[in-house]
Amino acid sequence: MDILVILFLVTGLFFFLGGAIGIIRMPDFYSRLHPAGKLDTLGIFAMVTGLSIYNLHHFSFEALLLSAKMFLIVFFVFLSSPTATHSIVDAGMRAGLRHWTKKKRKG
Amino acid sequence: MRFLGFIIVCLTGALLLYGTGEFPDWGDPDSPASTHLSNHYIEKAIEETQVPNLVTAVLADYRGFDTMFETAVVFCAGLACFLLLRDFSQKKERFYRHTPTGVILHVKDSKKTLKVGKEFEHMDKDWVPSDLIIKTVCRILIPFIQIYALYVVAHGDFSPGGGFQGGVIFGSSLILLAISYDLKTLVRRVNEKVIGIFAALGVLIYVGIGVICMSMGGNFLDYSKLAPLVPGDPHHIRALGMLGVEIGVGIAVTAAMAIIYINIVSEGRHDEGL
Repeated sequence: MDILVILFLVTGLFFFLGGAIGIIRMPDFYSRLHPAGKLDTLGIFAMVTGLSIYNLHHFSFEALLLSAKMFLIVFFVFLSSPTATHSIVDAGMRAGLRHWTKKKRKG
Repeated sequence: MRFLGFIIVCLTGALLLYGTGEFPDWGDPDSPASTHLSNHYIEKAIEETQVPNLVTAVLADYRGFDTMFETAVVFCAGLACFLLLRDFSQKKERFYRHTPTGVILHVKDSKKTLKVGKEFEHMDKDWVPSDLIIKTVCRILIPFIQIYALYVVAHGDFSPGGGFQGGVIFGSSLILLAISYDLKTLVRRVNEKVIGIFAALGVLIYVGIGVICMSMGGNFLDYSKLAPLVPGDPHHIRALGMLGVEIGVGIAVTAAMAIIYINIVSEGRHDEGL
């Protein structure tokens, strides 16, 4: 059981770390939103799964209810995070921000 | 008139600065907070008020006056936004969109209006086509946000939360509606007069509970005097009084948030914006 919890938490931390590095290292606005939107969502899923399994150590109805409530967090983040990313990208396109290309701009 | 306002602002600021001179210094060991007040709250709050959440007990019971005037400040902020920004003059130009073809009509004559319905719809000047994803997700999320806000208001005396936080969450759900659809949708759903009345009603509930306590023979906001009016365990009467006060705060904050947002975003015209 503990191994499973640690596995989930480490997976979550790995994705969070990837997301954080991605936000710093990516070259422009749009590609930075990519790790911010995707990796954090998966990271939260893995972390909350680990925590809710840990919470079920002493199995009871209350603990089960608490774990279900934790999964509500995941549900709402799953809904809102991609939508927020989508609307930010939409606003960027509308404001006329050019995307990054490998070609060096002259001048 | 402007000069007079400037003088009043300066005088009030000077008065407030003068008032801070009377405060004890930071971390003063002889100040009431350091000597006995904090210890009294921590040791006696549950015994005296039967409220498990100390923060709420201090906020709504021991310092009920303070919180009442905070609510009045929030109400005044909404009122000031309304008085300064509200512009009742109709805009001269209007934009309409012919729904079946997508043709945009620019009406410059202020007297001419088109009937909005199946054929034409209102359009903002800097119009953004409505996004199906954002609309759908917000439509799913807004009811949950509002239920959560009510939970935060109602559960304030047992867990972190209370009227201010719950009111802000509820108000933000209204703002989310305006962002995901457009401002007209929000203004249509939430009538301007109704939110004005609600903002005043919230403060009125707070003060009214205090006055009822007075009329029952206690001090202002002494909730223990409400016991004969409310059925149930008389020991929990302070918690119930706080709940009533928190509901008043929540209503006032929600309405003030909506008023401030709508007025600032549309420059007081309540027609289009963000």
